[in-house]
Amino acid sequence: MATGTNTHHQDSNPNTPAATVPPKQTVPTAKTVDTQSVLKRLQSELMALMMGGDSGISAFPEEDNIFCWKGTISGSKDTVFEGTDYKLSLSFPSEYPFKAPKVKFETSCFHPNVDVYGNICLDILQDKWSSAYDVRTILLSIQSLLGEPNISSPLNTQAAALWSNQEEYRKMVEKLYKPVV
Amino acid sequence: MAATKGSSSSPTCNLAALDSLNVNSIGEMTDSWNAFCAATEAQLRRDDNLSFASDIVPRVRTLCGYGLQSLIVEHFLCSVEKTFEKNGASRFWTYFDGYCKMVVQDMEDMDQQREMQDVLHTALEQITSEKQYQEKGLLVLIHALETCRESKPEEAAHSDAERNYLLSKYQLIVTSVLMASLPRHFPDVLQWYFKGRLEELSAMMATGSEYDNKLSVDDDGDQNCRRVEMDIDESQYQRIILGNNKLIKNIGEVVRDLRHLGFTSMAEDAYASAIFLLLKGKVHELAGDDFRFSVLDSIKRWIQDVPLQFLHALLAYLGDSVSYGSPSSSLKSPLASHPSYKYCGNEVPSEGLIRWQLRLEYFAYETLQDLRIAKLFEIIVDYPDSSPAIEDLKLCLEYTGQHSKLVDSFIAALKYRLLTAGASTNDILHQYVSTIKALRTIDPAGVFLEAVGEPIREYLKGRKDTIKCIVTMLTDGAGGNPTGPGSTGDSLLEELNRDEENQESSSFDDDVYTDDKQAWINAQSWEPDPVEADPLKGSRYRRKVDILGMIVGIIGSKDQLVNEYRVMLAEKLLNKSDYDIDSEIRTLELLKIHFGESSMQKCEIMLNDLIDSKRTNTNIKKATIKQQPKPVADIGEVELSLDNVDATIISSNFWPPIQDEALNIPGPVDQLLSDYAKKFNEIKTPRKLLWKRSLGTVKLELQFEDRTLPFMVTPLQAAIIGQFEDQTSWTSKNLAAAVGVPIDVLNRRIIFWINKGILAESVLDSGDHTFTLVEAMAEGGKAGVGSGSSEELLAGDEDGERSVASVEDQLRKEMTVYEKFITGMLTNFGSMALDRIHNTLKMFCIGDPSYDKSLQQLQSFLAGLVAEEKLELRDGMYFLKK
Repeated sequence: MATGTNTHHQDSNPNTPAATVPPKQTVPTAKTVDTQSVLKRLQSELMALMMGGDSGISAFPEEDNIFCWKGTISGSKDTVFEGTDYKLSLSFPSEYPFKAPKVKFETSCFHPNVDVYGNICLDILQDKWSSAYDVRTILLSIQSLLGEPNISSPLNTQAAALWSNQEEYRKMVEKLYKPVV
Repeated sequence: MAATKGSSSSPTCNLAALDSLNVNSIGEMTDSWNAFCAATEAQLRRDDNLSFASDIVPRVRTLCGYGLQSLIVEHFLCSVEKTFEKNGASRFWTYFDGYCKMVVQDMEDMDQQREMQDVLHTALEQITSEKQYQEKGLLVLIHALETCRESKPEEAAHSDAERNYLLSKYQLIVTSVLMASLPRHFPDVLQWYFKGRLEELSAMMATGSEYDNKLSVDDDGDQNCRRVEMDIDESQYQRIILGNNKLIKNIGEVVRDLRHLGFTSMAEDAYASAIFLLLKGKVHELAGDDFRFSVLDSIKRWIQDVPLQFLHALLAYLGDSVSYGSPSSSLKSPLASHPSYKYCGNEVPSEGLIRWQLRLEYFAYETLQDLRIAKLFEIIVDYPDSSPAIEDLKLCLEYTGQHSKLVDSFIAALKYRLLTAGASTNDILHQYVSTIKALRTIDPAGVFLEAVGEPIREYLKGRKDTIKCIVTMLTDGAGGNPTGPGSTGDSLLEELNRDEENQESSSFDDDVYTDDKQAWINAQSWEPDPVEADPLKGSRYRRKVDILGMIVGIIGSKDQLVNEYRVMLAEKLLNKSDYDIDSEIRTLELLKIHFGESSMQKCEIMLNDLIDSKRTNTNIKKATIKQQPKPVADIGEVELSLDNVDATIISSNFWPPIQDEALNIPGPVDQLLSDYAKKFNEIKTPRKLLWKRSLGTVKLELQFEDRTLPFMVTPLQAAIIGQFEDQTSWTSKNLAAAVGVPIDVLNRRIIFWINKGILAESVLDSGDHTFTLVEAMAEGGKAGVGSGSSEELLAGDEDGERSVASVEDQLRKEMTVYEKFITGMLTNFGSMALDRIHNTLKMFCIGDPSYDKSLQQLQSFLAGLVAEEKLELRDGMYFLKK
């Protein structure tokens, strides 16, 4: 399993292109010859995810667009995030799986490697991406990132600072957590 | 008014004449008047017959002289009316008083009938003579009036008109008197009368036609004999004809008398309804409940023989065809038409007769049609045998055009008799197929079939075992219903195939016209759809009634049918102990013709597996014989070798999911199986054999002290009894552990041996069951043998555990996939409406199995999940239950 390692480049800038590009624009009409195979790949990932039955992670394509998915991650047991659910959005480029999908939190998440806009700093979503990863592994990585943040290069310095005090951190998480309706 | 005109004077003139009357003339007038009245009275009382004419002539003359002619006439007619009312009519009706409470059944009695005939004859005779007598009196009066008019030549021209006027006036009086006092039962009496007479005639005609038959049969007989016989027959025939003539003359007299009395239309109604009644009875008698013969021709012949002959003779006797008010027939002068009304006419029949014939035939068609339609259900049950009845019905319907009646009545019959919980799906399907075949005859365009088939299809869709029954019917010989009518030993599929070949050879292709000429012929043979056709459905689809298509239509898609067939085929193949699959191959080939190669591909692989298995099996055994290295494991005195094992080797990817239960089989057998697997691996490297130990059949022989019993059982049953070889008594818990199955499965399966009397069951104090081997026949064997035959069946039924997952199981599996998808989407989207879930599933659940359910099916599935408390439904939105 890929573990969360933090690469600190321009991610602290909230106006990063990745954050501003609305997910839907990635779908575009890139109806290349490959589109069919991308569709197929996403289709089979969906099937695998649905049948896999991993607890605490889930994702599903939006109504009419298989390039845009909504994901849900539950905080693992025995972590400060236990009992909280986080919504994510995943948007797949037409070059998928050769390019990583863009993943961000939709629910605000008080976490050292997640900024206030929901951008995630995770190596496998950036330079360590490989076509061997799939939706399931991405979600599992993010789930484990929740419990094991990379404090050394935080996006959210306050969170990184508080991490050492797990009790306080838990309180903070509870205070800031806004469950999705 | 002719009378007033004839009396020469207007009221004013009469008043003038009144003035000029003197005492003498008044006296003369009074005398004459009184004398006239007395004479009239006397005449009508029939006191004095002869003197009437001489009596009244001078009186009339005197009175006429005074211009009192109209008074005379009035008075006379008035008296006549009174007398007729008193003497004629009331007496006439008294004859029939006895019949007023009569019902039809009473008329069955021959004596009663005859009596009534006599009464009618007498009554008619009497009233006719009364009438004739009065007419005679009237004529005398007319004559008297005429003679006194002779003095005034200018009025002579009117005499004919006046005469006619008086006669018709008299006729009117008679009729109105009779009609006014008509008892309600008189028409019935007439009808009974005619009916009786017609039956008599019909019986005579029957003898007559028997004679005809005899004549034709005797044709090639000995000449002399024949001549003698002919003479006898001839005289007999003459007698019959004479009898006929006499009978018809009798009837004719009655009809004529009735007409004279003004009962023309009543008489006609009576004999018409008698004829129809008789015809109806005849149709019912001929048609009956036997559908194996066509009756239409014999009915037509009978119409020709009896009622038409009767009418012919009757019309001829009466010498006119007054009853048909059509101008063309009334224009014909009686003289011109008369010659054609001869009995036994080879001449052109009269228009009236033809009209009667059409009327009767239509009635016969309609009656037969109603009769057949009412029994259509039974007719179709006996379908191939009842095709003559179907043909009849077809002709009738062509004539009457009451197809909708057929559809309505048949649908009602179906709903009442077939589409009920009590009818087995097999029977319904057979009836459906017969219906299709039968209605195809009546209505080649298939229009009514659509209407009739609809309720059956709808009903069958609601049955769970429909697909199974259809597949069985299609593929099994005897159509899966050995007692059913269609048990020719051929499957429906074979039959369909034959039909199709016939159809193809006789009909030309719709689409490809070979040349212009052919196209022209096709265009000329085009026929419009029947008027009842639903214009929404194109006629192209109706061209050929495709039985298979209609059956598949019940299921919805051929895929479901193919799938079900695959499961059944798997079951069948797995239970085979030899490799004989000829019939399956044939069936598969037929199915391929109908459903295409690609959809039957998996089934073909399954059959190929069997063929390969046979070969591999032989190879493995050959190899063993060649090597013969070590004696195969011994168990006791019985030696097991690979020869005892036959394997069915399947490519499980292409087979329906196979149900495998864990099972510990006896060691030696297990050893044998792994040997076999090893050999297989040697021959077919790198492939390996994985045994499905619970499947297949075991032939075994149980040896007891006093007997040996052979059995064919499942591996589990064999494993169970195998355990008793070393240890004769087991508790169910231990036995289950030894065999390696759950206790409940063991308890279910061990019943087989208990029923056979091989094992005995007893309950321990601990609640555990103990099974003990019954060694000696005496202990339980008798019961076992006694009930053996029936138990065998029971065991077969109880043996419900199948080796292949049924289609329902597969469906459940499919649904769990959907459930996961639904959970997935609801986790991420929170709440969704039914439509959205449906669309999303359609969009993304496209793997294997892909989502192919309807919105309704999804809704019921979701309702199931809500009931299981997995989902929640609020305001039309589905949520995950937290």
